[in-house]
Amino acid sequence: MKKIRYTCMMVAAMTALAQAAGLDFPQALKEIQAPADAKVVTAEFEFTNPTDKPVRIVKYDAACSCMAIKIKDSKLSYGPGESGVLRADFAMGNFSGTVDKVVALWLDDDPADKPSVKLTVRVHIPVLVSLEPKTLKWEVNAAADAQTIRITMNHDSPIRVTAVNSSSPAFQHELKTIEDGKLYELSVKPLEINSPALAILRIETDCSLAQHRLQQAFAVVRKP
Amino acid sequence: MKALGQLAVICAIALAAAGGTWWIKGPPQRTLPCDPASLQPDEVCLAQIPADAAVLWVDARPRDEWQRNGLEGSLLWNLDPAEDMQAFEAAAAVRIIETPRVIVYCGDENCGVSRQVAQQIRALGLGAEVFVLFGGWRSLSEAGRVRGSSPKP
Repeated sequence: MKKIRYTCMMVAAMTALAQAAGLDFPQALKEIQAPADAKVVTAEFEFTNPTDKPVRIVKYDAACSCMAIKIKDSKLSYGPGESGVLRADFAMGNFSGTVDKVVALWLDDDPADKPSVKLTVRVHIPVLVSLEPKTLKWEVNAAADAQTIRITMNHDSPIRVTAVNSSSPAFQHELKTIEDGKLYELSVKPLEINSPALAILRIETDCSLAQHRLQQAFAVVRKP
Repeated sequence: MKALGQLAVICAIALAAAGGTWWIKGPPQRTLPCDPASLQPDEVCLAQIPADAAVLWVDARPRDEWQRNGLEGSLLWNLDPAEDMQAFEAAAAVRIIETPRVIVYCGDENCGVSRQVAQQIRALGLGAEVFVLFGGWRSLSEAGRVRGSSPKP
């Protein structure tokens, strides 16, 4: 009888320990479609303590200064059944395309290298000025044919290319307007192809949104 | 009283077992172990990189940390919105032409920034081989490779 009671107590203790492990986040991934002019986007993660023990958030970290984390009412301890909200504010800077940001949460006795919760904020940021390809490549001693970067504007209002500057005289470039405010082609040709070379091409536009205004492409002659 | 005696016996046995383990296997491993077999495809252990290998090191930590104890010769590229991403791209492009093997590190094994920076470097399309250092700056520090650190056994 004693043995049975002891076994039951051990099972109960182990179960309690396992439950104490966490907070329940119904959505660990939040996807946000950001407007082109957004400077900050916010994701809110709701959570509940489903265990029968209090759970404490010891530490949280976004591993990026672009992300500010706040927990509603700065409350870090949650009793059984209690709920809370974690808010992540993502400063978009000059990110574009799809960006994933991860927030790690350490609970109670989590080791420093193993947070028990990882949340992801996936932000889709419109690419108003698209360069395709972003890099043009030639091989040393190959044919020095001209190659083209296609510059496409993906905005409601027209965006015009106002200037193209190259960091290197080893390449010549020519801009063609295919459709004003919508589509351009930048033709680039290396003047010599006997040794590795790089040009950084800065493409200036009249885009009203500063973070999209200046674009950058590369032309490179490299060893095979 | 009997229970206290039993507790003392259990503690003594546990202590003897722990002491024996220490004696046979040595002190606990406090450095970050890196097993090449369990790495993700884009990760690399520091031990796999010869000290004299031609590598472009990219520090994905905040600027102040890079300035304080970044690897000598490393390039800064982080995701801080206050930084100029195009300047990072341009600086990396210039260096990649000379050194097309790139290894990105951030703070520790738990930091995901280095993987995002590695993706951005690959997206430049410059043909660089880009890896993420398992353990990040912590593994460099444990190996005595950064300013003010000394190798740990």
